[in-house]
Amino acid sequence: MIKQDLKTLEEKSIYIIRETKLKFKNVAALWSMGKDSTTMLALTRKAFLGKIPFPVIHIDNSIDFPETYAFREYLAKKWNFKVIVGQSEIKPDLVGAACCGKNKPETLKKIMKEYGFDALIVSIRRDEHGIRAKERYMSPRDENFKWNYKDQPAELWDDYASKLDTKGHIRVHPLLDWNEVDIWSYVKKEHIPVNPLYFSRNGYRYRSLGCTHCTVPLKSNAKNIDDIIKELETTKTEERSGRSMDKEREYVMQKLRALGYM
Amino acid sequence: MIVKSVALLGHKDHGKSTLIGSMLMQTGAATQARIREAEMYSKRMHKPFEPAFILDSFAEERLGEMTFDTTRAEIKHNGLAFALIDVPGHEELIKNMISGASYGEIALLLVSAKQDEGVRDQTKRHLFISRMLGIDRLIVAVNKMDTVGYSQERFEDVERELSRFIFKIGFAKQNVHFVPISAYKGENLVKKSQKIKWYRGRPLIDVLYDEARKGGKKHEGALRIITQGTISGDKGELIVGRVVNGSVSVGERISVLPLGSNATVEGIVVKGKKVRTGVIGENVALALDRVIDGELRGSVIASSANKPELKDKIKLKIFVTGRFGKRTLARFNGTEIACKSVKILHDIDTTTGEIVRTKKAKPLEAVEAEVRLVRKVPVESYDVTRELGRFVLYSDSKFAGIGTLD
Repeated sequence: MIKQDLKTLEEKSIYIIRETKLKFKNVAALWSMGKDSTTMLALTRKAFLGKIPFPVIHIDNSIDFPETYAFREYLAKKWNFKVIVGQSEIKPDLVGAACCGKNKPETLKKIMKEYGFDALIVSIRRDEHGIRAKERYMSPRDENFKWNYKDQPAELWDDYASKLDTKGHIRVHPLLDWNEVDIWSYVKKEHIPVNPLYFSRNGYRYRSLGCTHCTVPLKSNAKNIDDIIKELETTKTEERSGRSMDKEREYVMQKLRALGYM
Repeated sequence: MIVKSVALLGHKDHGKSTLIGSMLMQTGAATQARIREAEMYSKRMHKPFEPAFILDSFAEERLGEMTFDTTRAEIKHNGLAFALIDVPGHEELIKNMISGASYGEIALLLVSAKQDEGVRDQTKRHLFISRMLGIDRLIVAVNKMDTVGYSQERFEDVERELSRFIFKIGFAKQNVHFVPISAYKGENLVKKSQKIKWYRGRPLIDVLYDEARKGGKKHEGALRIITQGTISGDKGELIVGRVVNGSVSVGERISVLPLGSNATVEGIVVKGKKVRTGVIGENVALALDRVIDGELRGSVIASSANKPELKDKIKLKIFVTGRFGKRTLARFNGTEIACKSVKILHDIDTTTGEIVRTKKAKPLEAVEAEVRLVRKVPVESYDVTRELGRFVLYSDSKFAGIGTLD
């Protein structure tokens, strides 16, 4: 995995986050309490003199890890930002990708409508998945969250997309360029607090965090950030290999994203 | 690690995605899971292993065996990293090609040596676009050498056919290199090929490496900041923006354009910290000695002693991607400026580089045009400060072209 120049990545993300806040009327950011969206919040604080000037949304299906909920309360208080919790319901007949593809986007749709957000910051990265690698920094979605991936807008020279229509929104991806190892290097450099589940306990750690139903830990002895960075330099496994939804039927990520999965 | 961006160019099916896939595998940058997935889909389609599937992730791309949209992947070599930017080669997807190529610092053009393939209009068009985007270093990978028995003669034919055009559109001789390869067979990419003994140069990755090491030092010019708007600080509003040329220091007398308001810089914040100077590439927040009234999105801050010119009539070179209809907007640093008129002066044939006396502005061709804007904007040559010499053009709400100022 390639470690990139952190200053270059940081400046680009700050530019995009500022652009989002100043271009759109009503901005929100998704926060899963994971390392990526927490890094995004740290970058937001750098962009806005220590403040997070928009609400942060957690789509909660009530089955996240206890450590994850504790981390939510801890950081929201420490960094003083507003969290909107969107309660989504787990339906017993939906499992895996069907669950992720339906429950969370449906709840998010309700929140987007209720608050009238026109831009949503989502902390995906290109190196996570081939489909995410095809995203723009700013990508229009219609009211039903549909991603028209066959006809994405031109994006060059810092000229970013505007909204498609009055009801849709723009997905903003300020961390698109970052690699997993860059996130960890930055977390270390900036002392960004992270969920303790990322560190090894009894020979296992979570490399990517989802809910308790669909996330399994991987074998690892990485007990601190330096260990994690060392592990990533040599690993040949995928970051999301502990996420069951990614491994189901063909093109499941493409289908999920086209329907509005985050 | 500093990452150099390399824009892949070339006609569809001349091997751009296959090359990146093979480079990822040979340098160990592709994960086992991505390789296994590409293997699985190749098998399912009853094909031998296709490295392009590592990049082409959409179902439609794999089934159609054609890249739809741009993506990128990184490789490293001798302590230097490259982001290889994949782009679609198909004419109808030129919008996505431009989006990807606009991030490139070096161009890597693929030309198939296969009989009946060779140099095509789209090959030259991509080169034309890369020059317009300001790319001045070029590596031409003559691909599919395995299909012509690694023939030196065929390689030299392609080189001869393309060289004239390459130099005509402004690439300098010392910045252009031709390398024979087979992306699919993995020949002459990372290791010197034993099958191409007549080739005396280095394998592709080393040629890229040498070229990447050569350039990069930019001449720094006068202060230019593109503003994004204002944010609230402890003692009032701060203007935020990015330094795109020169540097800004506390105490400096500046002008905000096109407003024409003058002020003195009292404080600079970069990434939450107070600093004395903000330099090129940094996002700054500026405290001024007075409040600036008026539009602060997409404005330019310059030193009062050295300001760019304000113009409402500009001559642009435009690469045309759509139709110019009734209502044309010039998008400039996050703002939209309506055009009163777009008068085509003449066409430029993007496959010959020649000026043509017609005035048609057809998609996939270029023109020189005189554009009249409804208001004055601070501009200068694209070569001096890119952000002040470039416009993305939309006509009747559709992407119509990109324009640069000489």
